[in-house]
Amino acid sequence: MISLTLLGILGLLSLFVLLALRMPVGLSMLGVGFIGTIIANANKFMVVGISQDQAWARGLKIAYSNLAGETFEAASNYNLLVIPMFVLMGNLAGISGMSNDLFSAAYRWMGHLRGGLASATIAACAGFAALSGSSLASAVTMGRVALPEMKKYKYADSLATGSVAAGGTLGFLIPPSGGMIIYAVLTEQSIGRLFMAGVFPGIILTLLFIGAIYFVVIRNPDAGPRGDRFGRAERLSSLWRALPILGIVLATIGGMYTGFFTPVEASSVGALLTFIVAVWRRSLNWQASKQVILETMNATATVFMIIIGAFVFIPFMSLTELPAQLVTILTSLPIGEIGILLIVVLIYMFLGMFLEAMAMLVLTIPVVIPIAVALDWNLIWFGIIVVIVLEMGMISPPVGINVFIVKSIAQNVPMSTIFRGIWPFWFAMAAMIGLLILFPQIALFLPQAVVGG
Amino acid sequence: MSRAPTKPVLIATLDRLLTWGALICGGATLIFMTGFSVWNVLIMRKALNAPITGAEDLLILSLVVIVALSIPLGARTGAHIEIEVLEARMSVAFAKWSMIAVKLMGAALLCVMSWRLWHAGGTASKFGETTQQLLISYEPFYYLLASSIAIYAAVLVLDIWQLLRFGKVVTLSFENGAP
Repeated sequence: MISLTLLGILGLLSLFVLLALRMPVGLSMLGVGFIGTIIANANKFMVVGISQDQAWARGLKIAYSNLAGETFEAASNYNLLVIPMFVLMGNLAGISGMSNDLFSAAYRWMGHLRGGLASATIAACAGFAALSGSSLASAVTMGRVALPEMKKYKYADSLATGSVAAGGTLGFLIPPSGGMIIYAVLTEQSIGRLFMAGVFPGIILTLLFIGAIYFVVIRNPDAGPRGDRFGRAERLSSLWRALPILGIVLATIGGMYTGFFTPVEASSVGALLTFIVAVWRRSLNWQASKQVILETMNATATVFMIIIGAFVFIPFMSLTELPAQLVTILTSLPIGEIGILLIVVLIYMFLGMFLEAMAMLVLTIPVVIPIAVALDWNLIWFGIIVVIVLEMGMISPPVGINVFIVKSIAQNVPMSTIFRGIWPFWFAMAAMIGLLILFPQIALFLPQAVVGG
Repeated sequence: MSRAPTKPVLIATLDRLLTWGALICGGATLIFMTGFSVWNVLIMRKALNAPITGAEDLLILSLVVIVALSIPLGARTGAHIEIEVLEARMSVAFAKWSMIAVKLMGAALLCVMSWRLWHAGGTASKFGETTQQLLISYEPFYYLLASSIAIYAAVLVLDIWQLLRFGKVVTLSFENGAP
């Protein structure tokens, strides 16, 4: 027999070994969860005096039942309908040229300022994030539009690439965010409340990013020269072009906040509205339609395989009592709640250097959420903090995924230059976390004001 | 201009099947999910105050179809996230053989999963596993998921074959649309 805590530790170690050997995250969690469930249950039966053969047989039966049951549970989870729908909406927005319109509008209003093009990129990323819910989509789409413009105006490579990489991460925070949906499902929180909680932090982080750009150009004015100044008519016409985006965001996200739609309904309405705009703009030819469908299916595969893995892995972690042990250890430390929160944040920052954001989210939730619950933290507020720390991981060396995306677009810019450019934005995110710790109402005000509780 | 590596016939056929399956069945399901959900919400529920009975059931089953179609496609495109931090530090031989071992374990696990899903499908009616309102049996949907997972396992076996034969895995890419 083996102690359940030791089994939990061995489970986590096996998981990391499998991940290091490049087994897909979903499969790794599935495998460790399945084998771990057999051993943990067999152990429990042996403890109560059942014979070894019987105990193993029962453990295996429970694990088999979990494997099929949890897989079907994940694949038929009504709340998870929002994933293919919001992904479809983002893909349709991408091919219909809405990203160009957003950047164009932001550029005409802000481009003449010092560092204005980089700020316009951040603003456009924030706008696109409200349509796509994906940091990768935001970084790719905006990178293709904004980087050539910034090159034209001789922006420093570090500032140009850094602003695209960091701006892209807003897709993970500003609703509809894929990360928030997964967090909500795995922690049994309301998707709508989480989306609402992400609004003010999203806006403030956008402003902090623009502040970071201002800081860079104050220190080095050559990093972000002024662009052309546009007349009032051009500015207004660019806003007119971007109006459909505002309409879709207001209809879907606004509809959700006012209680007119549930998140699932909002996602379908958003997908349909974006489809109508794409058809109206004649962007949906056969080739583009194929691309949209296949990209949507692809992203759905990514998310669901991880969720299925998490659905099998999380019950195993609960069986091992390892999270409970961790809670006991952490709460016995003389560092207070803030100290524990800082430890959690630092661990996330460290893991973010090596793990992909969504993988890190599902891997850490079984261990971290019991700590948050034991300390009576508001899980909506904590979710926003987790999402921002995960965003930091997306631009942290050595494997910040958004940095690689930007590198694939700006191939002549060295990685070291891109990583140098992300630091002001990284510190802006750290400042955002600090603000959320000091003023939790930044996240909690909107859900409390709209739905109460 | 570099040419894309040629795919073995078997893999090219699988890619075509998965891609067109995703395009036709997946596309139709996505259109149904979007259209039906909006129709139910905006017209039937909000405008006519007569929501469609069992709408949620149909959407849930559509989701199962989308998931089942997407998982094997994702296996071929490399959509299932892997952590590749240590790959650069591995010797070529270790990287190859560890990848083969990992894929073998994955295929074995997926075979068990597929078998259990198939088995659960067989007992779904017996245990009354149906949707809540329309009482549609989950049985065929368990079979669909079981088949999807079995194809994922087959993809991993084909990956192993590619690794042994050519030293690398050629994934499916739809940069320029369907193959």
